[in-house]
Amino acid sequence: MRSRDPGLAALAGPAGPPAPPAGRDSPPDPPDRTGLPGRGARSGWAGGARGAGRHAVLALTAVGVLFPLLWGLSGSFKPGTDVFDANPLPIPATLANYRFALEDFPIARLLLNTFITAAGVTLLQLGAGVLAAWSFVRFSHRGQRVVLAMVTVALVVPPQALIIPQFLMISHLHLRDTFVGLVVPQLSTCALAVLLLREHIRSIPPTLLGAATLDGATHGETLRLVVLPLLRPALSAVAIIVFITTWNEYLWPALAAPSPEHTTIQMGLRLFSNQEGPDYGPLLAAAMLATLPVVAVYLLASRRITDAFLQSGLR
Amino acid sequence: MTIIEAPASPTLRGRAARRAPGTGIRTRLAPWAYQAPVVLSLIVWVYGPLVFTAALSLLDWNLTSPSGSFVGLRNYRRLVEEPEFPAALSRTALYVLTMLPFATVVPMALAIMLWKRPGRTSDVYRSLLFLPVVLAPVATALTWRFILDPLSGIVNTVFGEIGLPQRDWLGDPSTALWTISLITAARFVALNMLLYGAALAALDRRAFDAARVDGATEWEITRHLVVPQLGGTTVLLGFLCLVFAGQWTFTNIAVLTQGGPVGATDNVYYRLYTYAFTFFDAGTAAAAAVTIVVLLTALFGASSLLRRRRAQS
Repeated sequence: MRSRDPGLAALAGPAGPPAPPAGRDSPPDPPDRTGLPGRGARSGWAGGARGAGRHAVLALTAVGVLFPLLWGLSGSFKPGTDVFDANPLPIPATLANYRFALEDFPIARLLLNTFITAAGVTLLQLGAGVLAAWSFVRFSHRGQRVVLAMVTVALVVPPQALIIPQFLMISHLHLRDTFVGLVVPQLSTCALAVLLLREHIRSIPPTLLGAATLDGATHGETLRLVVLPLLRPALSAVAIIVFITTWNEYLWPALAAPSPEHTTIQMGLRLFSNQEGPDYGPLLAAAMLATLPVVAVYLLASRRITDAFLQSGLR
Repeated sequence: MTIIEAPASPTLRGRAARRAPGTGIRTRLAPWAYQAPVVLSLIVWVYGPLVFTAALSLLDWNLTSPSGSFVGLRNYRRLVEEPEFPAALSRTALYVLTMLPFATVVPMALAIMLWKRPGRTSDVYRSLLFLPVVLAPVATALTWRFILDPLSGIVNTVFGEIGLPQRDWLGDPSTALWTISLITAARFVALNMLLYGAALAALDRRAFDAARVDGATEWEITRHLVVPQLGGTTVLLGFLCLVFAGQWTFTNIAVLTQGGPVGATDNVYYRLYTYAFTFFDAGTAAAAAVTIVVLLTALFGASSLLRRRRAQS
């Protein structure tokens, strides 16, 4: 189902706390920052012009890619007839669109559904993912490569190619419009979580795991007492990624939960837009309610996420 | 009888010794127990359906009737002979091509700019530029519909003011595909900017400092020292663009154009969805699915060959 973007995935990158690989310079550390080579040489007019050009390019790109968010946010506060007003700031501003969206459509219910679904899928994927990732690192047996290949290939199987059997299964099991139907099948999108967690577990020094074995710890005890505590930062990064991806999932809810009371916010927005037609005010308000929680989660964690990612040494 | 063959280390305690590799059925089953949830879920919801789809593609089956009849390869022949699917296939290629620069050159340039001057401003820019990846796709698509509204959307209002042509961007067959491409491209720029950033972070800055001391200009360093080292990343991201360009446009197509106007924005993924849930033609939809998977597998094989060859040279 769902398009599991490698995207969000990426943002985790092995954030593994232990042992950053030697020989790599971690970009954001202070000495590097100030001792930037060549910076002094370019002070003065030429350097200033160059810096200004760079800021212009970056700022313009940022405004460009964020334009829909900014314009939609401002539009959602503009009163009824002014919604298309060209003034970037909503003056006068009103909350009427939000009130209308919440009263006219079960938006609050949809947000709650989405939160429950995303949280459920996150827990399920993290639980199953840690177990599988751990077994990939700990055991070597003949079936290992096959299972690893299964997980990796699942990442690029287009979700649209599976919709007919998935639709038939979910209908015949009478799981349409239920949380079980929304959550449990989405465990199968865990490939990304498994592969990321595997990288993190692999970066734990083998001597630590060996020491635990020598002390008589079972595989399960080593996982619980040694691996999990070390894995905590990686787990939270992967959890954020899975949560955001599931929150944004559209295809699976469209198949598994088509009715406005039981679906998630992405499918709900689609239904709401069919109902509202060209009345953009409430539609934008609903769109912002669907977007802002995720943006907030991202902004709170963004520095850590991008930093962790930049140090992952992905090639 | 299994006997521990490797001489046990003297520090090994009894419990660990009993669990040495290869002993007992419990130990041999342990890895499977750990992997069971993931493996079962993949079999039930990914690989099972894939096999089922392959079987379905040989049937003539209307999803609403109780069962279908075997028709061999007729569904595939229909796909090839009717104009829609080949057209959707070439439009999918067009999507990939238009998005390729946004998946490679543009994010590479941004990542290099951010990398050259590490610091607080770069961190802020990086966080902002990554945001499109986390934006809810349906919400973003609906906002674009508002922005591109043919009568009073901001784009046409501004274009009117400054004397540029106003168009029905999503309703005109000559502009709709490019519009969908550009909307979707923001996600590629955002994501790949960070992926290039990770590749850059792994480079050794001292080589560039040495070149600088030797009098190389910034442009020469970028052009001759930095960019060539990003080749592997570029091949990988180009391939990911190939795989995901079609899929990422899916939501935008579904929300904004439903494949129209007159099929101008239709791609293979949306076509498959249409066969399945507009025409309830399970056989043809399944045949389309199999075709897509086979093509992707072939491309995947080609790209890993390319990567291996690069790694060898």
